[in-house]
Amino acid sequence: MRRSGAEVALSLAVLALGAGVAFGTVFLPAQSGYARIGPNFIPAVVAFGLIVAGAFLLVEALSGGWRSMPEPAERTEHALHRGAFAWISGGLVAHMALMQWAGFVLAGAVLFACVARGFGSARALRDALVGLALALGVFLFFVRVLNVSLPGGWLTPLIGGL
Amino acid sequence: MEAFAGLLQGFDVALKPINLLWGFIGVTLGTFVGVLPGVGPALTVAMLLPLTAQLDPTGALIMFAGIYYGAMFGGSTTTILLNTPGESASIATALEGNKMAKAGRAGPALATSAIGSFVAGTIAVVLLTLLAPVVVEVALKFGPAEYFALMVFAFTTVAAVLGASTTRGLASLFVGLMLGLVGIDSQTGQPRFAFGVPELLDGIDVVVLAVGLFAVGETLYVAAYTSRLPETLEKMSGSIWMSAQDWKRSVPAWLRATAIGFPFGSIPAGGAEIPTFLSYSLEKKLSKYPEEFGSGAIEGVAGPEAANNASATGVLVPLLTLGIPTSATAAILLTAFQNYGIQPGPLLFQIQPDLVWGLIASMYVGNVILLVLNLPLIGIWVKVLSIPRPMLYAGILVFATLGAYSLHQSWVDLLTLYVFGLLGFLMRRFDIPVAPAVIGLILGPLAETQFRRALSISQGDASVFLTQPISAAFLAVTAALVVVPWLVRRRRASKLG
Repeated sequence: MRRSGAEVALSLAVLALGAGVAFGTVFLPAQSGYARIGPNFIPAVVAFGLIVAGAFLLVEALSGGWRSMPEPAERTEHALHRGAFAWISGGLVAHMALMQWAGFVLAGAVLFACVARGFGSARALRDALVGLALALGVFLFFVRVLNVSLPGGWLTPLIGGL
Repeated sequence: MEAFAGLLQGFDVALKPINLLWGFIGVTLGTFVGVLPGVGPALTVAMLLPLTAQLDPTGALIMFAGIYYGAMFGGSTTTILLNTPGESASIATALEGNKMAKAGRAGPALATSAIGSFVAGTIAVVLLTLLAPVVVEVALKFGPAEYFALMVFAFTTVAAVLGASTTRGLASLFVGLMLGLVGIDSQTGQPRFAFGVPELLDGIDVVVLAVGLFAVGETLYVAAYTSRLPETLEKMSGSIWMSAQDWKRSVPAWLRATAIGFPFGSIPAGGAEIPTFLSYSLEKKLSKYPEEFGSGAIEGVAGPEAANNASATGVLVPLLTLGIPTSATAAILLTAFQNYGIQPGPLLFQIQPDLVWGLIASMYVGNVILLVLNLPLIGIWVKVLSIPRPMLYAGILVFATLGAYSLHQSWVDLLTLYVFGLLGFLMRRFDIPVAPAVIGLILGPLAETQFRRALSISQGDASVFLTQPISAAFLAVTAALVVVPWLVRRRRASKLG
């Protein structure tokens, strides 16, 4: 018998999502025209579907684990590398925060350096410079050639942008 | 021969120098991005979507057809040389293709895959040309009830029938349908599940979901679970040309695989995974050299690659004629259409024949460009594979975030992207299929609209779905698809018990 705490947790998450949608459905109007159903009908169906799927997942998880999962031997993976996960997540969050005021190019360089670090690169300065060059190239191409507006941030006086 | 006239007119459009140029750029970019390990066709199309912002619809769609084909070819190169299938449809290719590369026959493996894709792709486009007007003819008679029933059929096959587990497929589908609820209800203007966030009122963009699941999720997964494993890139060795025997063994495999792949793609069942494996096992059974299977049999590359391409073209039949996407890539192509205010479906063939037939004609052209451009340039594409992994994934994420950010120039979309990245990471880790979620997101709102329209017409009488013969037939087939395998399993289990 195999039982995975993660599978139980994910099953519960699907159930909770279903419950959340069901709760949200309560606040939607039921009024309708000729169809006799309103904007709340399909959300109720989706909530029901999520709850049923979550319940089945939970039953499977508690009775020997989810069905037809790949055999451990078929998986070529090493143990979870927390550092790698954290560096990439951190990079994405920093990128989100930096975008509005530091601008696309600098945010992109930071993201690039963090992701490279997550993949085990030890040369942070080089990565940041490569990222800077790449982001600058992309920025200029999108802003000057494709006319897509991107925030220039701190570099706006030098390179333009929003 | 309405189709023939349409096609001639289409070639007129596709062979305009400017459109040829877009096709050429599309194929090149698609191959370049598709070669990148971990980047499948769906992600390639999604990441390159912002590039077409300034093009006219016809040019943009022609470029996308090129990107689509280029990405598929690029993906096979990676699969064969690196043994990292970018998507489930390439797993069968990896079985023999990587063994051939290890045995110093990377050249013929890549050649049979490229020429096979060309042959299968071209035959499939011919079939598409012949089939599309027939389907359009039928589809013009469809009302909302028929469309709704057809969409339920597509949901069921994609989520419940095709994957490893019906339960996980359905969970994924309903998560996608839930995401599709977010935003303003198209019938009444009522905001739903937007929590007052302006970015959410527009609804969740399919591109953000796809890029989040495929790019961010995949990057997180690879970094956390496989980046510390050793990786072997096979050298591009052996002549690129196939020997006479290679040809003799490849040609029948290509043709058989096309016959398997195209129907699988064109009934709204989606997914190239089943036809590729069917073709693989068929070739294994029919081969005169069964002992070579497992150590690099050329039929084992030729068949699945051709099946994959034929099915990818087949998927365009329901997409173009009915507006129903049945693979993640098709869902993103549909978004590309919608960005231009174009709704694929039977009416599109009547309203904008230039655009549809131009697109179909450009697939013939795209296949040719792919063959003449990429086979000789294979050495360059292989170099892309030696980009160090840290740089590669860092670059992928810079582009992935750009696509999401440029939607509203808002960090909210970046947050959504990251949340979908976490979701994709978990789905990858726990073997939950992502295609049902992507298809649920884009098809869910369309299905709801048809459902409510059908009920409006029938004055709220829900029996309309069962009294209309076509709708009833679709629903009956759908029910059979779910119930019959379940009954078979139960019977087998009770016999064993």
